[in-house]
Amino acid sequence: MAEKGKERMLVSRIEEGTVIDHIPDWKADTVARVLRLDRLARMQADVSVVILENVTSKLLGRKDIIKIDQWHVDEKDADILCLVFPSITVNYIDEGKVSKYQPKVPDAIEGRIKCPELLCISNAEREPVVPRFATLKRDRLLQCHYCDALLPFDSVPEHVRT
Amino acid sequence: MEPSTDFVGRDVVSARDFKREQFEHVLRGVEDLEKHKGSLDGALKGRLAALLFFEPSTRTYSSFQIAAERLGMRVSGFAGPTGSSITKGETLHDTVKMFEGYGADIFVIRHSKMGAARFAAEISDTPVINAGDGSREHPTQAMVDLYAIKRAFGRIDGLKVGMLGDLRYGRTSSSLAYALSNFDVEITFIAPDALQMRPEVTQLLKQRGVDPRKERALRDVAGKLDVLYVTRIQKERIPDPTEFEKVKGMYEVNLEALKDAKPSLKVLHPLPRVDELATEVDGTNYAQYFVQAAGGLPLRMVLLNLVLGGVS
Repeated sequence: MAEKGKERMLVSRIEEGTVIDHIPDWKADTVARVLRLDRLARMQADVSVVILENVTSKLLGRKDIIKIDQWHVDEKDADILCLVFPSITVNYIDEGKVSKYQPKVPDAIEGRIKCPELLCISNAEREPVVPRFATLKRDRLLQCHYCDALLPFDSVPEHVRT
Repeated sequence: MEPSTDFVGRDVVSARDFKREQFEHVLRGVEDLEKHKGSLDGALKGRLAALLFFEPSTRTYSSFQIAAERLGMRVSGFAGPTGSSITKGETLHDTVKMFEGYGADIFVIRHSKMGAARFAAEISDTPVINAGDGSREHPTQAMVDLYAIKRAFGRIDGLKVGMLGDLRYGRTSSSLAYALSNFDVEITFIAPDALQMRPEVTQLLKQRGVDPRKERALRDVAGKLDVLYVTRIQKERIPDPTEFEKVKGMYEVNLEALKDAKPSLKVLHPLPRVDELATEVDGTNYAQYFVQAAGGLPLRMVLLNLVLGGVS
């Protein structure tokens, strides 16, 4: 409880928005990149983002937390985060009430990740192709629907579409 | 549930998508056509084949063109980007939509981008045959290759197949590997590390119970093989030209390289060759590649006929 109190001292609670918790320590910047929070913050005047790094955690020892005021992260984006960081949890806050979302590895991902194969049709300029991937959960790989290229879960942050 | 050998209206995008009985069905069709030459002539009279070759091609384009014409089809499209609207920047999407509007009954597409044929198949209700998509696949060549093997040995099961050369960027190798994974074969990939088979291909093979061996040199395995599938180093597909210079000429197949080979070995090559397959092999019993090439026309006739539901 003391640690929880300490965290409260750092940042006040939010009434509306998203808290992404149980991020492995010092990985909040990767989460921010996957969620494209920089763009979000630029586009939404009333959105604030707070990143807490290296906070003590019963579960992980140390962890990062991201609080986003006035913005609900899409569940599909949270699921993509889960590919890289299975430990994360997402709390949505509506008028002060918290509802938890446990991200899960999706069967397929559409539109959010670029194919690592530069010569894939999904990377072709001007072709109206939406990148699609199937998840090979046992092997922790994504497979491009078009060119079959494989992308390890851990490499997903470098291939998020901007 | 339609029978698995039913090809009518289906796309031929990847050799991954076909099962053993479907390959065997096509090969039986080719055998029948070879026995009864002319039996498919005019079978698709009046139908329109759109051959959309965004990459230059001579042999594949010609074989599809002649096959379609022998079947009685009208042929439209282009054999390469030069002189077509592609040079003006027209997309694959728009080209497909345009020819669909012109009443194409089938698309045969070659494109430099991997997965182009799958994309075309998604945006069109008209069947699509992949005639090569970048360095990914060339499924009809794999069928031609299977037919050459079947013709040489009377079977495919039980054979030891070595695939040599540019396996990473060579689309025929990956399609043949997928096709062979439906049969009881031993596969050895012979290539320098930089040109070894792509991981997605070996992964699918393993899922299907075929665990391919990887070798760096032909000499280590030449004596054990029944089939040696030789491929060209495709320098246009190698992003780093210095990589190409390092491997160029390292994998030449000549009589010296085959000195330990079984007398029954058959050498296949999808052609054209550069310097990876010496002409001194041409006059030997090893050479199966011209027989293999000759199978391209009847095979493509049979495939077009199956997909468009012509003569049964």
